[in-house]
Parts: sequence; C-alpha cells; structure tokens
Amino acid sequence: MDFVSENLLTLLILLPVFGAVGLLAHQMFWKQEEHLKWVTLAITVVIFLLSLLLLGDGGTKAGGFAFVKNVPWIEAINTNYHVGIDGLSLWLVILTTFIMPIAILSTWHAVEKRPLAFYAFLLLLQSAMIGVFVSLDLLVFYLFFEASLVPMFFLIGIWGGANRIYAAVKFFIFTAVGSLLMLVAIIALYFMHQQATGVGTFDFVTLLGSIESGTLAFSASTGLLLFIAFALAFSIKVPLFPFHTWLPDAHTEAPTAGSVILAAVLLKMGTYGLMRFNFPLFPEAARELAPIFIILAIIGIIYGALVAMVQPDVKRLVAYSSVAHMGFVILGMFSFTEWGMQGALYQMLNHGISTGALFLLVGFIYERRHTREISEFGGLANVMPIYATFFVITAMSSIGLPFLNGFVGEFLIMVGMWKSSILAVTATANWNYIATMAAGTGVIFAAVYLLWMIQRVFFGKVTNEKNRILTDLTPREIGIMIPLLFLMVFMGVYPRPFLDRSRDAVVAIQERVVKQAGGTVEVVETFEKE
Amino acid sequence: MQLSDPNVNLLIIMPEIIIALTGVIVMLYDCFFPKNRGITGTMSLIGIAAAAISIALIWPGGSVPASAWGGMIVHDSLRLSFSVVFLLVAALTILVSSVWIEREDVPGGEYHALLLFATFGMLLMSSGNDLVIIFLGLETLSIATYVMAGLRKSDLKSNESAMKYFILGSLASAFLLYGMALIYGATGTMNITEIAAKVADPNFPALLLVGAAMLIVGFGFKVAAAPFHVWAPDVYEGAPSPVTGFMAAGPKAAAFASFLRIFVIGFPVVGGLEAAGYLNYSWTTALAVMAIATMTVGNVAAIMQNNVKRMLAYSSISHAGYALVGFVGAGVALTQSNRDAAIAAVAFYMLSYAVANIGSFAIITLLGQKNDRRTEFEDFNGIGFKSPVLAFTLSLFMLSLLGLPLTAGFIGKVLVFRPALEANNPLLTIMVVAAVINTAISAYYYLRMIVVMFFKERATDWVEPRIPSALAAAILVTVIGTFYFGIFGNRVIERFSTQPIAEAVSQR
Repeated sequence: MDFVSENLLTLLILLPVFGAVGLLAHQMFWKQEEHLKWVTLAITVVIFLLSLLLLGDGGTKAGGFAFVKNVPWIEAINTNYHVGIDGLSLWLVILTTFIMPIAILSTWHAVEKRPLAFYAFLLLLQSAMIGVFVSLDLLVFYLFFEASLVPMFFLIGIWGGANRIYAAVKFFIFTAVGSLLMLVAIIALYFMHQQATGVGTFDFVTLLGSIESGTLAFSASTGLLLFIAFALAFSIKVPLFPFHTWLPDAHTEAPTAGSVILAAVLLKMGTYGLMRFNFPLFPEAARELAPIFIILAIIGIIYGALVAMVQPDVKRLVAYSSVAHMGFVILGMFSFTEWGMQGALYQMLNHGISTGALFLLVGFIYERRHTREISEFGGLANVMPIYATFFVITAMSSIGLPFLNGFVGEFLIMVGMWKSSILAVTATANWNYIATMAAGTGVIFAAVYLLWMIQRVFFGKVTNEKNRILTDLTPREIGIMIPLLFLMVFMGVYPRPFLDRSRDAVVAIQERVVKQAGGTVEVVETFEKE
Repeated sequence: MQLSDPNVNLLIIMPEIIIALTGVIVMLYDCFFPKNRGITGTMSLIGIAAAAISIALIWPGGSVPASAWGGMIVHDSLRLSFSVVFLLVAALTILVSSVWIEREDVPGGEYHALLLFATFGMLLMSSGNDLVIIFLGLETLSIATYVMAGLRKSDLKSNESAMKYFILGSLASAFLLYGMALIYGATGTMNITEIAAKVADPNFPALLLVGAAMLIVGFGFKVAAAPFHVWAPDVYEGAPSPVTGFMAAGPKAAAFASFLRIFVIGFPVVGGLEAAGYLNYSWTTALAVMAIATMTVGNVAAIMQNNVKRMLAYSSISHAGYALVGFVGAGVALTQSNRDAAIAAVAFYMLSYAVANIGSFAIITLLGQKNDRRTEFEDFNGIGFKSPVLAFTLSLFMLSLLGLPLTAGFIGKVLVFRPALEANNPLLTIMVVAAVINTAISAYYYLRMIVVMFFKERATDWVEPRIPSALAAAILVTVIGTFYFGIFGNRVIERFSTQPIAEAVSQR
C-alpha cells in the first residue's frame, strides 16, 4: 500500500495511458470491438476508486501539498516532475475521475465509428486532465495543459457533428494561442528567478517561496505583463467573455462524451489555473486587474444568459449557459473573500455536475431523435416522464434552486462579492453591491431560459408525431443519472465536507492576495467553520 | 616565411575519413557491379555507423587535441553535436530513399556515393575552424546536393529544381567567398580563433563589417532565411521527396553549424571594446530581424499551400527562423557556458527538426507514388483509419513540428527560446514573442494535415501501400527519436553542451 500511496498521483496519470495501450493490444490480439467499452469502463472505474484514496490523507486538510512526488526531469533546464494536491485540486481531480465512467457510459451505443480510437483518446484525455490539476512544476503543467488539447481535437474532429472540422480547429487554435504566451511568461519567470537567486526554476513551490520572501521581486509593470500572459491562457479556456466564441461551436459539434468532459473538466482548467498560479504568483496585479475581470465576468453572465435564451438548439443553449456559469466562478474568485473564493471552487464542481448532466440529457434525446431543435419537441413529459423529471431536477440545480448544489455556490459567490472590498466604494455608491446585483440578474435570466426551454420541450401536448413513439430512459441511462442527481442534492444540502477540505488552500491564496496588497485579512466566520 | 608544425592528427578527422572512404568505395563498387542497390545502401550504412562509432570514441576528449591540422580542424561540442545530426540525417535518408530508388529505378550506387560525399562536406563544415575548410566543405556538400536534386532526369520539375538550386546556390557561394575574402583582407587570417582575437582589437577595419554582411547574405541563402528564402519552395517541391527531406534537414543544419562557428565564435561579444561590440551588436540585430521575418514569411506562406511538399518547404523556412532565435541567443550570451548551452540548443533544435522532418518525408515518399504524383492535401483525404499506422505517425511528426509537449519539437523550442530570453534585451524578447505567435499560426497548417487525414472522407479508392522494411526502420527510428528527445531529451542536451576535455597540447 505504501507504494500506491506514495505514487498515487503518478498512478492516476499513467493508468489511463496504460489503459489506452492495453486497448490497442486487446484490439490487436482479440479484435473484438464490443469489448472495448467494457475494458475502458473498468479502467476508469478503477481509476475513480483509486482517486478516492486521495480523500484519506490528513495532509490535504492541513494545508500544503500532499502526495508529493518530486523527481528531476530535464536537468539542463532544471525542470522537475513535481506533483501534489491540496484542497484546491483535490475535488477537481476527483471530479475528473468521477465524470469519466459516466462519459463512457453516456456513449455506450452511440460510437459506431472507430471505437478503439475513441476510447483510447478518452483515456489519454483523462491522463492529461489529471496531470493539469496535480502538476506543481510550471513546465510540466504547461505540458499537460497542451497535451489535453490533442485528444479533444480528435474527439471533436472525428466523432463530432456536421461542422466538426471548423469547431475542432477553432478549439485548438484558440487555446494554443493563449497557452503559448503563457509559455513565454513561464520561461521569463525562470530567468527572473535565475537573476534573483542564481538558480533558474520552473518549480511552482520554489517560485512562490521566493516571491513570498521577497527574494524574487519584479516591477509592477512586469508583474502585470506576466499576469496577463497567464490569465489570457486561462481566460480563453474558461472561457471569459470575449474569448468565449470557440465554446458554443466546440460543444455543439462534440460527441456527448466530449461535451460532458469539456464542460465538466476542461473549462475548470482555466479557473483552476487562475486560482492556482495567477493569484499567488502575482497578487498585486490580480488586485489591480480585478475590476476588469469582474466587469468581463458580469458581461459574460448576462450576455451568456441572453444569448442562451434565443438559441433554437438545446445543446447550444446549454453551451451558452456555461459561459454564464463560468462568469459566476470568475466573479467569485476575484472578490478575494473567503466566501467568494470558496463559492467559486464549489461552483466549479457544481457546474461540472449540473452542466455535465444537462449535456448527457441532451445526448439521450439526440440519440433518439437525431435532432436537438427545441421546435421539434413539445410535450415530452407525457411520453418520457422519467426523462422529464431528471431534466427538470438538473435544470433546477443549474438555475440555483435552494437545496440543490447550484444554490450553495451562487449564494457563496454573491455573498462574497457583496462583502468584498475590491471595487471602489464612493460616497454615492458601493460598486461591490452594484456588481453583486448585476450578477444577480443572471440568476433570474438562467431561470428564464431554462424554464422556457423546459416548457417548450416537455410540457403541453405532443405536437410532433415523431415524438409519440419515443421510449423513456433505459436502465443504463437512469444508472448514469442517479449518481449525478444524488450529488446535486447532497451537495446542495450538506456542502460542508467539500468546503472543509478546500478551505485551507483557498484561504491561503486569499490571504496572499489580500496581504500582499497591504490589506488586512478580515476573519470571516463562515457557516462551514462553526 | 616561417613554417609551423601542421600538427597532423588523423584521429580527430576520423569520422570525415571514414565517410569519404566509404563514398569512394561505394562509387567504385558501383562501377564494377552496377545496380546492386541493396549492397551499396548497406555499405553506406555501415560506413555511417563506423563514423558514428568513431565520433563516440573521440567524444569524451582526452585522446585528441582541441584542434589539429594547424588549427584548421577543431574538436568541440559544436562540431560533435552537429556531426551527430548529419550522420543521423544521412542514415535515415538512405533508409527512406530505398523505396524511391526501387520505384523509379534511380542509379542507387551513384545516389549513395553522392549522399556520402554530401555528408563528408557537412562534417567538414562543422569541424572546420578555417574559412577555407568551411568553404571546401560547403562546396563538396552543395555540388553533391545539386546532382541529387536533379536525379529524376526525366522529370521536368526535378530538372527545374536542380537548375534553380544550382544557380542560386552558386550565387550564394559567390557571396560567401567574397565575404571570406573581405574578412581575410580585414584581419589577415582565415582562422576563426585568430579572427576572434583580431576582432577584439578596437581598431579593426570597417571592411570586416562588409565581409560579415556578405557572409550573412551567403549563409542566409543556404539556410533559406528570409529575405533569401525564395528559392526554397520551388526546389523542395521539385526535388524527389527523400532528397527534399535530406536538404531540409542536413545541408540546412550544416550551414547553421558553420554560420554559428563563424559568427558566434568568430565575432563574439567583447566586453568593453566598442568596435568589436559594434560588430557583435550589428550582426545579432540583423539576425534577430531576419529571424522574425523568416518565421513570419514561412508560416504565413505555408498556410496558403495546397501541396504537402510545398507546405513542408515553407515550414522548413520557418524552422530556420526558430533556429535563428537560438542562434541570436548564442550570439549575445555573456559566459562560455551560456554560449555552449545556446549552441547546443540550436544543434538540438536541428536534431529534433531533422527527426520529424525526415519522418514526414518518409511517409510522403511512400504515399506519393511514382514521380511524387500524390502530394496534394486532397490526396491524403480520409486515409487516417485506412492506414492508421502511417497516418498516426505522420500526425505525430506534425505535432512535433508544431512543438507540442512530449515531442522533441517542444523541448527544442523551449531550448532555443531560453537563451534569447535570458539576454533580457527588448529586441530579443520581441523576437521570442514573435516566435510564439508564429507557432500558433503554424498550428493551422500542421493541423490541416491531421484534419484531411482523419476528419475528411475519402472520395477515391485507397490501396494501402506495403511498407518496405527499410522505410519501416526509418519510421521506427524517427518515432522513437521524437518521443525520446521529447521526454528524455535531458541526456542529449547535456552531452551537446559539454565541451570535450582537450588533450594536453603535445607539440612534437
């Protein structure tokens, strides 16, 4: 067991790769394509169970990094394979491993073309995603960040819809442009560290230590440039308004499994990166640019909601709702209060579960009717009652109904923004309040577009004869949805286990941003702390 | 005139001797037993392997002096690391061309002999520490390559390619020679070590600057850097695919080796001396601008190509630009170890480029069929799952050329960007940012290859080609190389950047 717990993260990264190789070998020797999905499912379930071991460590709670592995990789440029997790990454890793089996089950019958390559790419994607969340060396992080592009590129390009080539190329180029500038910033950090201390390093912990102790200091303008280079990569990935245009295309064209993973995990890489790297490394710049990010986030929330409202295609609607939801996450992060940042992290998980579930549900109906046009449907609740129930619950979670997970996240974010002191407070107006209220309208819009869509799709009379013969969800589909629905309720009723574990890591980041700017850390008595 | 001891040392030029002898033997064998392609190819490979072993033996140093033959041949990390690139390129090219020689009934013995002579020229270009030796190496290389480009005698495009290459190559050689003459006029010596010492004199004549400018033009042609790149696409498209792969990887790397030797070592940064500082400043600035232009021109033009070979030709131009980034970084490096690291970075870059490039051309040669008929992008439509091994391998090479992590191209890019950023100079930082933006642009056309292979449907029939064993070996080596240099590149870089230990100078 020692070996497993010492190398747990490495195992989590490598197992999917071995799995992919195993699939290739299986296909070479047995040539039985119908086995592939079972093998893949088994691999991902094993990985999920293994990842649960991460919860067992006390180190995660105490702050700092747990399950650390640090071995030299390229000595010539002093880069190390350094991985570890803390409260920030813990839940994202588990979200990744949790969503994979679901994604695979979701396309159980839908992948007829090239199943081997499909499952191999999914596994490679999983490996890269886990790598992103656990790497503590900037170069290694960059490596996984880029590596996650390729499998997704193929997933969209080969198994996507009619316009898949455009969507795949757009997805790749948008993300690559941002991340390449981040690479320059990473190398620049290396040299600044070299000039300051004599030893260049890509190691996040070392860099952070040098910045905290003041050994590595850079001018305000340099800090801003570096912050922007990092933030651009992450903002494109989130995506923050105005960089969001790749998202609806990619989501609409991707196969269901791809959309689920894209929404649930890939977008989180952006918000995770901002919190993990941008805030602690460049706290002054983070504070200085916070108003811009808050404004963009609010524009994203409202714009995403308004555009979602008029979409004729259900999947595109959900895609635009992603833009709005991720706007909330950004807003919470940049409030720099414990409430807001914890809420942002919580909302990342919520969005992964709720939006992932919505994409699954859209996928189910698409498999039956091969269309996603809202106008094609109507009165589905009469024909598919279970499906309708699930859809409504999921939509409610996405809207943020109390006792469902979305509420907790959005509530925390709004409280955090309200209590924040990041925006100007003038005699006539406290802009933090105004920002909160503006974001609050987004919740109302969310209710409007989702409920309106539900009304058109599920209620009323069955208008289209083709819909009469639709079958309700199969046991497999119900089985996929049950864990997601359970989590929606559980996380909505009892968020403490989640928030407790992430608290120390999040507060550490918050304190850094606030302290560095000469501010004082206000001690917030949150309800999860008692 | 005083005669000095020429310091004859055969060991130091053992790789060159072995390659040249093998070339002669192959040529003679072909005279008496013509049309034995397999045998001449095997002989050449054995010769290359022997040369590689001799390099490995003399590499650690200790057994050979730092320079011999009156200072005309040097034994340093630049020479050694580039020699590795040349030998690898030559060996891979022989493996790749086997399928083409068979298909088009090319005189195999001649071809192999020419390739070996070209390799000899390349080796000499990296080990020569004297302008004359460098020029000799260059001409040996060039003349052999002119012939190779035109080997497909019945094909008009191939003829055009050889003709263009010959005329423009000669022009470039003329520029080089004139530049060398001017430098000799200014410094009174052909030896690069002595030139470096003379340059340190604050009162060097302005003639040196003119000479250096001429050399930049000449080498600019040879490495196909903008604005001296226009010949490259036509020549690369017309030449037979294996030869194109060779030209883009080998002679380009060789030109970089001498280019580095003359400029970085011959015109170094000299602290406190204004005149020499001016020389160094001038050429680094000029090359930085050229690097930006080269990358941009190459990438933007590559986007618009519909022919895969032409696309790769433009991509090769842009890669010369990336290598120039590291080159300029080497030029401004202030310490010996930084300089060595930067030179090693350029060598590593050429190595990673060579592997991915020759790998791509191997597959294009195989799929191109007779006379390279099928080299348009449409010809690759939808072959992804019909020939998965070839298609995935080609995709891997494209991603390596793009510089995606875990491939050799990524480590290469990081390494060449590093010295340029280290200088902390605004122009060089702009250059690196330009390089990064260019990398993003290049994503479009490299991905296009993947898009046509995997995402498009094939309209016409596809007969999966049989992969001959020699080509399979070449593909295997390049695939392993791409991953090995990308994941365990550490060992190679370390080797490349460590100077061999010089033998205690023994004057006889």
